[in-house]
Amino acid sequence: MRRRVNTSKAGHLDALPSPSPAALDQALKAMAAVVGGDAAFATEEDRDAYSDHFPIDAHRHRPFAAVAPTSAEQVQALVRIAVAHRVPIWTVSRGKNLGYGTAAPVVAGSIVLDLSRMQKIEVDVENATVLLEPGVGFYDLYDYLQSRKIPLWLSVPGNSWGSVIGNALDRGLGYTPYGEHTRNICGMEVVLPDGDRVRTGMGAMPNSPSWQLHKYGYGPAWDQLFVQSNFGIVTKAGMWLMPQPETVRGFDVEMDRMEDLGPLIDTIGPLRREGVLQQSPTIGNWFRAANILTTRRQWTDQPGSLSDEVISAIRKQFGLGWWGVSLRVYGRETVVQANLDILEKALRAIKPMSMKPFSWRPGDAIAPTAGGWMGVPMTFPMQSANWFGGRGGHIGFSPVLTQSGKLAQEQFNRTYARYKQFGMDYQASFAFGERHMLNVNAVLLNLDDPEFMKRVDPFLRTLIADARQHGYGEYRAHIDYMDLVADCYDYNHHALRRLNQRVKDVLDPAGILAPGKSGIWPAAYRKERKA
Amino acid sequence: MRRLLLLALALPVSVAVQAAEPDGQQLFEHKCAMCHGPVGMGTGLLARRMKPEVAPLEKRDDLSAAYVERAARIGILNMPPITRADVSDAQLALIARYLSKGKP
Repeated sequence: MRRRVNTSKAGHLDALPSPSPAALDQALKAMAAVVGGDAAFATEEDRDAYSDHFPIDAHRHRPFAAVAPTSAEQVQALVRIAVAHRVPIWTVSRGKNLGYGTAAPVVAGSIVLDLSRMQKIEVDVENATVLLEPGVGFYDLYDYLQSRKIPLWLSVPGNSWGSVIGNALDRGLGYTPYGEHTRNICGMEVVLPDGDRVRTGMGAMPNSPSWQLHKYGYGPAWDQLFVQSNFGIVTKAGMWLMPQPETVRGFDVEMDRMEDLGPLIDTIGPLRREGVLQQSPTIGNWFRAANILTTRRQWTDQPGSLSDEVISAIRKQFGLGWWGVSLRVYGRETVVQANLDILEKALRAIKPMSMKPFSWRPGDAIAPTAGGWMGVPMTFPMQSANWFGGRGGHIGFSPVLTQSGKLAQEQFNRTYARYKQFGMDYQASFAFGERHMLNVNAVLLNLDDPEFMKRVDPFLRTLIADARQHGYGEYRAHIDYMDLVADCYDYNHHALRRLNQRVKDVLDPAGILAPGKSGIWPAAYRKERKA
Repeated sequence: MRRLLLLALALPVSVAVQAAEPDGQQLFEHKCAMCHGPVGMGTGLLARRMKPEVAPLEKRDDLSAAYVERAARIGILNMPPITRADVSDAQLALIARYLSKGKP
């Protein structure tokens, strides 16, 4: 490897080794021989297509090429070629991780392994599980189930263009009782960075009928080792699906005031922990309809954060509170009704601005705007990329909080002040897990305005630093911020980083697989970065 | 906006491609309709720039095959480029022919 000085503005990738052009050419030629010439892509247009589409600086992460294998055997062969030529590879399932880097690698000049042509689906209807290859998108799986009238539901993220497996491997979120997607994983097939192939859990027994039923097998359970990591390439994964419920009922709740966030959280939290609520409710602010259905110019021509007057106008037009949440209860009629009564009583006690009942039974149409709570894939929320009227996008900032209303309100107050300081429009949600809460901010970008874009990086770094002071780290990060986020997890002089590095060096001594992913760098890069 | 929402209420999600060799329409439904069907992101954003009734690509009569292919590969405004792994050149040619209704 030769040394290249990265002159990026962000500056945290100061000096990285990059593969020689000759090694890349040779590796790509060998890879093309494995996948076929029509599955190796290295034109300038291809490189652009695999770059980040919601970037701060797309050029920083432009890959050298992409190859698209169709089988685990091909993936193994490609990995061995990468090792032989010492070239970095970056795996994507479908490459649609918008807001987190899209298909682009941390290290520019990497070869992208695009698994989108691996599309096998094996559903076990009786046990409500599916064994998937990474190229299967949410729409593919949804269509597969619907066209066969299989009464199993997905949980889908707000933009469902991407891969079911890829999303679960990045710990993506949905809104149903199966909304914490990484928890649905049960059993994997993984190609290791030396080309070996392993099956986890019960899959380690070749004839096991319970690979997708029991998550652990015997001895250490490895599935989470391959989530948000660069320790292996997942070529198959089992996912649990939700049996279609007898009914779904609930309330769309609006709360009037900014300071209603805390009481709303303190009302939902205990019900979630107790199990009265089993979904992953997401509290969103007043902005969630306007940035999808309108552009900023329809409201104001003033720069800076949207004013209180504009916020009032937006709320009035869409009938929204400062905060809103859609609460849903799923299951048998009698159980749902009992839980709904408890939920309604708790909600009435905090005096919502409005509380609209929701009810669905099999056979009822599902409005696309309600699809998120029913596992129906959607893309329309991504219309927010046009909020500024031209090219846009978003970058996530998503610290892990507790379910304390007081602490969340304080976190909101600090964050909202920063949005105003940096002149950003506030878009955020508070997404419940079973015990924790994720404060998912989607910072909207205006790619046509260089002055605006200059503020984005300092804004995100400020948010990350503020959160860190209070012990809040992010659950997921854009490729530009993986190092910074990993830095926050520094107990005992970065013991976690040292552990990750030791595992990385053992599994991937050549340091070829996704260097820098989640802040985990192989030995060769660590040496270079210190130099 | 209201029109968009009403349209949205009536929408079937794309049907799975089951034929061995899908045609242009099937490929469009499988590869494009999630955004360019009735409630997709692409349709919603195009409705800001043209009459909403022609915002779904299948309703257009002014698309040439060459334009469709270029637009898909380089992306337009908020549309990301479509990689050749996702939609091969041969598949894109079939989709473009379908959407252009025969115009080259």
